[in-house]
Amino acid sequence: MSPAAKAEAPAQPEQLMSTAELRQALPLATVRGLEVCYDPKKPVPVLDGVDLDLFPGEMVSLLGASGSGKSTLMKTLTGFAPATAGTVRVAGHDLRNLQRGELRQLRSEVGQVFQQFNLIPRLSVLSNVLTGALHQAGPINLVGGFSSAHRKYAMELLERVGIAHKAKDPVRSLSGGQQQRVAIARALMQRPRLILADEPVASLDPKLADSVLQLLRDIAVQDGIPVLVSLHVLPLALSHSDRIVGLRQGKMLFSAKSGELDEQSLKGIYEEDGNDVH
Amino acid sequence: MSTDTTTASPARQELPAAERIRLERAFSLPRGRFLLGLPIAALILLWSAGGVGFDFIKLGQGTLNMGEFLARLFPPDFSKISTILELLLETLQMAIVGTVLGVVLSLLVAFGAASTIAPPWLYYPSRWIMNVIRAVPDLVFALMFVSAVGLGPFAGILAMTLGSLGSIGKIFAEAMESVDKGPVTAMQAVGASKRQIIHYGILPQAAPLLVSYTLLLFEGNVRGATILGLVGAGGIGLELTTAMRMYDYGHLSAIIICIIVLVTIIDQGSALIRRRIT
Repeated sequence: MSPAAKAEAPAQPEQLMSTAELRQALPLATVRGLEVCYDPKKPVPVLDGVDLDLFPGEMVSLLGASGSGKSTLMKTLTGFAPATAGTVRVAGHDLRNLQRGELRQLRSEVGQVFQQFNLIPRLSVLSNVLTGALHQAGPINLVGGFSSAHRKYAMELLERVGIAHKAKDPVRSLSGGQQQRVAIARALMQRPRLILADEPVASLDPKLADSVLQLLRDIAVQDGIPVLVSLHVLPLALSHSDRIVGLRQGKMLFSAKSGELDEQSLKGIYEEDGNDVH
Repeated sequence: MSTDTTTASPARQELPAAERIRLERAFSLPRGRFLLGLPIAALILLWSAGGVGFDFIKLGQGTLNMGEFLARLFPPDFSKISTILELLLETLQMAIVGTVLGVVLSLLVAFGAASTIAPPWLYYPSRWIMNVIRAVPDLVFALMFVSAVGLGPFAGILAMTLGSLGSIGKIFAEAMESVDKGPVTAMQAVGASKRQIIHYGILPQAAPLLVSYTLLLFEGNVRGATILGLVGAGGIGLELTTAMRMYDYGHLSAIIICIIVLVTIIDQGSALIRRRIT
């Protein structure tokens, strides 16, 4: 359900919500009036007045032309791109006031999936997945051994993403789709409260892209965590998302349920207006 | 609904017509700076060759003497093979200890000398230390340590350790700088500490290069250890020099053959290890 739809739902005071229901109803990430400016000398901000809510269990697609600010929005949610104005709250943290250690803690709660997978090619699939638990390793873990509980959980995750049989293989021997599944397992290893996937299927063929997005959708639904995914392929966004957010030149054009979008709104994302994109 | 995903293109910038014609030509004339640079490079080479008296005619005239010298090396005299093997073993042991100590020191300094890891206050002094050490010849270090700890292989090992730091520390630092930034970004994204990023993100990627350079250093140190013997710093070098001074060409030949055999065995072993790790 979109935030707008949630706001419009009639109040039912006689039915009290359970804690679980309340958690589902509250957004895990909230962005209000976000402005990001990489270069203060440039008059045009990369993001300008963006509002966004991410609710547990929903898959939200970010659509927009290259340079529209999709990646910057994702970076803002993990503190890699600081907001110049507005507020960003993720999993109870206000990103404006976080110290270095707190920022690391926040990042450990946000699983990230990248376009180029960002795995270590010569290491095994299992070792790559285990790196998702680094924040739990603690300062005394100097030799790098992960506990058997970590290893067991990593194997369960590989089972879940369908490549447990490749656990011992070096990542470089895997196909693109399999590597992205490893990256998703690594993100899940963090036991994330939110997953951000920045163009996760841009380098995959349509069939693999479909399966990877289906996997992300399943994770959102089964684990009850929000998944924000930036995409370029509209049919994929329409078939896999609960909600689509459109960005154009740093401004948010719309945020609506997939089935409620009209052609005009979607065309607006890619319209040129003669200005340079950032 | 349309599913067109045409993206907005940035403002088009035309290539200058002359540049375009040059690019489209099958055989293009070299650029001006290349035409200017070539004679300058040739002049520098001729100036250097003239300065050191490099003369092909002289080389041709000396070929006969060279042949005569080589002829004196045959037949090799293996009557002192036990002495040769004992000294060769000492040379090998020197190279092993010197390489291990040198690599450990080089790794420590390389962490400080890698711009992607170290802060500027550590980066510049680390680079400076390595530059100073690299500028001093190993023989000078050997003389210094011979006067400090006396004649023998211990002085040679110390000289080799410092020499290794100078020669390989910079290469180690550059190997760490050149790793793919993707996995490092992924580590930062899971909330890993700086140490964990080095341990899990940088070292596994740099490892094949580090091992390869270590093997190269070891090969170099085995050869280098024969030179260090000249100043009394242990190894087979002293025996080699003595044989030359005494015009004992048969013995000299046997020593050289034994060194060649040892270096070849090490080279083959190194190649095998390199094949396995890359």
